Amino acid sequence: MSKRRMFFRMITASLLRRRSRMLIALLSIGIGATILAGLVTVYVDVPRQMAAQFRSYGANMLLVPSGSVLTQEEADDAMALIPEEERVGAAPYRYEYLNMVRRQQSFAAAGTDFDQVKRTSPYFKVNGRYPESPREVLVGKGVADTVGARLNGVMELTWFPPSTQEEDQGDADFDIRPGMTLAGHAQGYGSREGFNDNPVYVTFTVGGDGTIASISVDTSSETAGVGTRCSEEAFTDLFIGKKPKDLVLGRDVDAVSGATVTSAAVVQAIADARPVTDESAALVPRTINYAVVGILETGGEEEGYIYMSLDDMGVITGTSDQLDLVELSVSATQDSLERYAEEITASGHATARLVKRVTKSETAVLGKLQALVFLVTIVVLVLTMVSVSTTMMAVVTERRREIGLRKALGAPDSAIRGEFLGEGLFLGALGGLLGAVLGFVFAQVVSVNVFGSDIRFNFWLLPITVLVSMAVAALSCLMPVRRAVAIDPALVLKGE
Amino acid sequence: MSLLDIRNVSKIYGELKALDNVSIRVDQGEWVAIMGPSGSGKSTMMNIIGCMDKPTKGQVFLDGIDIAKESSRRLTDIRRDKIGLIFQQFHMVNYLTAVENVMVSQYYHSMPDEAEALEALERVGVRERARHLPSQLSGGEQQRVCVARALINHPELILADEPTGNLDETNENIVLDLFRQLHREGTTLIVVTHDPEVAEAAQRTIVLEHGRLVREVVNEHFVE
Repeated sequence: MSKRRMFFRMITASLLRRRSRMLIALLSIGIGATILAGLVTVYVDVPRQMAAQFRSYGANMLLVPSGSVLTQEEADDAMALIPEEERVGAAPYRYEYLNMVRRQQSFAAAGTDFDQVKRTSPYFKVNGRYPESPREVLVGKGVADTVGARLNGVMELTWFPPSTQEEDQGDADFDIRPGMTLAGHAQGYGSREGFNDNPVYVTFTVGGDGTIASISVDTSSETAGVGTRCSEEAFTDLFIGKKPKDLVLGRDVDAVSGATVTSAAVVQAIADARPVTDESAALVPRTINYAVVGILETGGEEEGYIYMSLDDMGVITGTSDQLDLVELSVSATQDSLERYAEEITASGHATARLVKRVTKSETAVLGKLQALVFLVTIVVLVLTMVSVSTTMMAVVTERRREIGLRKALGAPDSAIRGEFLGEGLFLGALGGLLGAVLGFVFAQVVSVNVFGSDIRFNFWLLPITVLVSMAVAALSCLMPVRRAVAIDPALVLKGE
Repeated sequence: MSLLDIRNVSKIYGELKALDNVSIRVDQGEWVAIMGPSGSGKSTMMNIIGCMDKPTKGQVFLDGIDIAKESSRRLTDIRRDKIGLIFQQFHMVNYLTAVENVMVSQYYHSMPDEAEALEALERVGVRERARHLPSQLSGGEQQRVCVARALINHPELILADEPTGNLDETNENIVLDLFRQLHREGTTLIVVTHDPEVAEAAQRTIVLEHGRLVREVVNEHFVE
């Protein structure tokens, strides 16, 4: 039998035949390794866990148009620069002013994707529910209070084209041709007297003889029961068969009694009308009734908005695929966020901005939290090592007599150290392996209870735990062994 | 030439003279008993001869080497190579079987050889107990295993400290018979004891008292 085989035979015998002692040592190392692996796993995973937690405080990155508008495609391209697993949510927003004509008030409205809003703004408190079907709106509490909107009520909203069109008028000469559709608008009573900014809109088509074939008038901003009568057929039919050029009120058409200003506005709108091209087809006012399915409470400026789906926003404005803003919630560190923002801006798809208020405070809290976990880890680690060493020392000290005997039998100190080191390393490896597995379970339990999510297993932690355990076990064996071999074998053997 | 030549050895612990100018010679193949009451210095003498302690004064030649001058590391080597130890409390590694305990001695000396270890157990009459742990052996069996362990490396000197102190008469006789056998084969034996019967089995008895050699008796009734 070789010396090596005898060496292993002795170590195996020691581990197997001194089972209870070995279990105590193994348990001690195992528990130590469990705590080490567990806490380090938690420590390493804290930034990721907390980053996810912080996402409940809202978006931390904004995408705004690089040019005039941001299309969905540009937004998607920009977002592709952020790893998918880090994107918690991306809510697109398109803002328009919508009017409640009867109340002569206009409100900021946002078209968005509610599924994404739930992710980027988890703090939104919706009384009722989020819109799911077309023509459903979520109304901010501020808006609801102002207009007296109720849950499950109906809200009539009108979109008016931007009035900047006027500047273009008169620039282009055109001939009126049969089949042409023209649209125009002019200041009515409401806007002239300052009740609102909305003009009177007229849309008409030209027949084969160059006269007006059909006409519709939108007087929804005018005084109800007075100016609004100008949109009734009794008045509009007066224009049928008339040449649209050079109409004169009172000569060609009689004004609606009591609504002279509005009537004049209709005539003026016809005079100013421009052909409706594809592009400008959208630029006609639209009024749609919406069901109020939810009232939004946030305590912030969001309460001053009306929210609807992007599709609904497209329907009422006649144009789609124009985003003003994308709110992104990204689960990443400040450094990564800054890098992503730079990459996105550099790509030219969109301009990315960080919500500094959110990211800065996140970084500060994270730093403190990680420092705390680090401190706890170190303290626990030191305590664990002391406890492991004490146990190992006790187990070895018990064997002083055996060490004395081996010395008396002629064992050099190095051989005795080697034998105990071998046992220590074996126990350390076994305990470390046990601890690495249990530690992950421990970290998982901590993570689920504290953060409510699964922990990520770091595979490099396995060899490190095993190595640290082996080192601690070997060191804690060697210290008492060194003391024991220094002792005179005669004294050890004489005792008892 | 003497195997062991102790010349004017003193061992002093502070005020106490454990050994006081003692000289002893033991020849190759001789069987010597060292006797004395407790505190007589026989344990100190045993430790010095066993290379586990060094004298304060004097010289101790073992096989021509003055062990009083050697380092403790060298003493370990000398003990391993030249001396087989037998203790009163047997002292076995409690998680190793009888044969493994014998093999431990081989392991530190040269090469473990299970067959040879079993042969040694056969010789002391506990071959059938080879696979038992110390806790499963009687005191007599344990001491026989220890004798086997002491002789396995063919030492020049077997040094036994109260080898029968923890044994009944039957087992005492078995052990003494083993010693007689070893003596016949030419092994040098030094037995430290306070038991006159054990001492009488030896060729010569050296009596220590208060650290001094007071008497040296040649055993007239010694049977070869």
